Amino acid sequence: MTVAAGIGYALLALGPSLSLFISVISKKPFLILTVLSSTLLWLMSLIVLAGVWRAFLPLKSNTWWPFAILILTSVSFQEGLRILFWKVYKRLEDMLDAFADRLAKPRLFLTDKMLIALAGGLGHGVAHAVFFCISLLTPAFGPATFFVDKCSQLPFFLVSAIIALAFVTIHTFSMVIAFSGYAEGNKVDQYFVPAVHLVAGMVTLVNFASGGCVVGIPLLYFMAILTSLHCGKMVMRRLSETRQ
Amino acid sequence: MESSILDSIGVEIIGVMSPVSICMLLVVLIVYSLSSSNPFSAAAAPPIRTAANLVYLETPSDSTSQKFEGALLNALVFVILIAVVTFFLVLLYYYNCTGFLKNYMRFSAFFVLGTMGGSIFLSMIQHFSIPVDSITCFILMFNFTIVGVMSLFSSGIPIFVRQGYMVALGIFVAAWFTNLPEWTTWALLVALALYDLVAVLAPGGPLKILVELAQSRDEELPALVYEARPSVAQNGIVQGRSLDLLVGGASDSRSVEMQTMSSNNVDRNESQNLANSGYTVIQDTNFGNMEGVQRRDERDRSLSVGFLNDRCSSSSSSSEYSTVVGNHDSEIVVDEERSPLVDAQETRNGREQMRDGLENSEVSSRGIKLGLGDFVFYSVLVGRAAMYDLMTVYACYLAIISGLGCTLILLSVWRKALPALPISIALGVIFYFLTRLLMEPYIVGTATNLMMF
Repeated sequence: MTVAAGIGYALLALGPSLSLFISVISKKPFLILTVLSSTLLWLMSLIVLAGVWRAFLPLKSNTWWPFAILILTSVSFQEGLRILFWKVYKRLEDMLDAFADRLAKPRLFLTDKMLIALAGGLGHGVAHAVFFCISLLTPAFGPATFFVDKCSQLPFFLVSAIIALAFVTIHTFSMVIAFSGYAEGNKVDQYFVPAVHLVAGMVTLVNFASGGCVVGIPLLYFMAILTSLHCGKMVMRRLSETRQ
Repeated sequence: MESSILDSIGVEIIGVMSPVSICMLLVVLIVYSLSSSNPFSAAAAPPIRTAANLVYLETPSDSTSQKFEGALLNALVFVILIAVVTFFLVLLYYYNCTGFLKNYMRFSAFFVLGTMGGSIFLSMIQHFSIPVDSITCFILMFNFTIVGVMSLFSSGIPIFVRQGYMVALGIFVAAWFTNLPEWTTWALLVALALYDLVAVLAPGGPLKILVELAQSRDEELPALVYEARPSVAQNGIVQGRSLDLLVGGASDSRSVEMQTMSSNNVDRNESQNLANSGYTVIQDTNFGNMEGVQRRDERDRSLSVGFLNDRCSSSSSSSEYSTVVGNHDSEIVVDEERSPLVDAQETRNGREQMRDGLENSEVSSRGIKLGLGDFVFYSVLVGRAAMYDLMTVYACYLAIISGLGCTLILLSVWRKALPALPISIALGVIFYFLTRLLMEPYIVGTATNLMMF
């Protein structure tokens, strides 16, 4: 039973990404490599951030502003890294195109570029879920569960899985938005992504208040849905543009 | 719509990475499921004395410096042992005792599958209370083992089965290795990575000698190697050569000598035996499968008189011979140079082709080879990480896989046999300790307050 619960939490956080991975990513080995490298990049960003913040940890859990600074720095660092990721991707795209020319194959289609962006985003999202949710799940497989004081309505593992799901969605789709924004030079999209990430991070600060997760999680899901809607609209627009 | 280039890039990299991932995953699962109730290590509770800790038996009460020194000594002795055995095997190979070597490999595979696999199965059965009687269990085990032994060095077995058994061997040995005490494991991993580096790259290194011998004799190495032949044919799709891609356009300017070399200079083998511990680790890495190239060349010649040979330095591709980029002249030169080798392989090729069917033979004739030892020690690292926390498992997995990717990229640049352990193990160890020391308090501190970003 507890094993079932643990697997359930894991699937709650990673189920959508898993189905995305199986249905879209796993058919194209290159996308798998993209997912892996983007996951690694995210892990390295976490390690760097942890190294910087190591001196100040553990934070006192009765004041909220150190956490706000922590989230602010982390988000800005990761958004900086996204630009780096874009630069690397750009060079990769050139290489792929050159390679395609050499093989007398068509260059990358728009859908291919979006798939690469999706894979990159999925890597970020999966890394988030893995490190913030799954890696803490070990006790959930044992014969007990764990509640935190500030959100006593639900078990901690369930809450973190729900939050992780929202963040997986945000990360996955914001990478698509960001890449398309960089490619088109669309300022709105370029600023939309860091803003969403930052707001989503800040929204989790609501959880700090006692019982705050009742408010915080719906707000977070609002951000996630906003991101996916925006991404969907953007993709539809670009696809119809290229078709004409 | 014409298939896009994305479909085809990286096939062979994934072909190597996926078995490694499966191996690591299963080792982690075994470590997890068996360490909770501990029937497996309960048997080993009085620390077992093996080849890997001949000198020093670690006990938790020892001081740190004692553990450190002991672990270093253990690793040193282990590596010296491996080096001696490898030299011995090279000597045997030098004097053409191939038959003996092959039978010896079969015997050790039998032993690993039978005893180590058996003990793991038994503890699984105990742990999950699987109702099975001893006779059935024995028959199943015996069949499993015999099929595994037969799948080595014989062409009549589907490549999928052989790959499966290679992974199984890796899993058993790695699961066994995770019983070693912690400090010894780490020292051992680092020492083996260093040994690997020396043995493959240094002049006079045993593996280098072995590989060169095998190349000069044009034989398959009598060793346990995972061959990442694509087992599924993808006819009609031009597979990209991602290894070429990864070095950018540089491969275009490669000279003919380089290309020939790449087919002659690609094998690496490492065989070790730890007889006194009752198990065998055979570690080989053959990057680039020269025999595969020859086979394909032979086929190409029969098809189109050697003219459509593609640049043999490239990686696997079902229809590479139709995508030659320029330099036909050099192709012919390459082909001529190797024609004796091709002839030597002819009889076997015929068999292979009949087995594989006509369309698939090109597809299944070329792949990257990865030694079983690399499987084992990657998995040992991950399994050791699994004893601490899940977080370290993910970090180590990512580090090892990216190290493997780096090795493959280097392989495509240098086009010679490379040790697969050093980069991966170095990254894995670094990431393990970074994760454990830096990241865990950070993540746990934020996540338990439900702060995420």
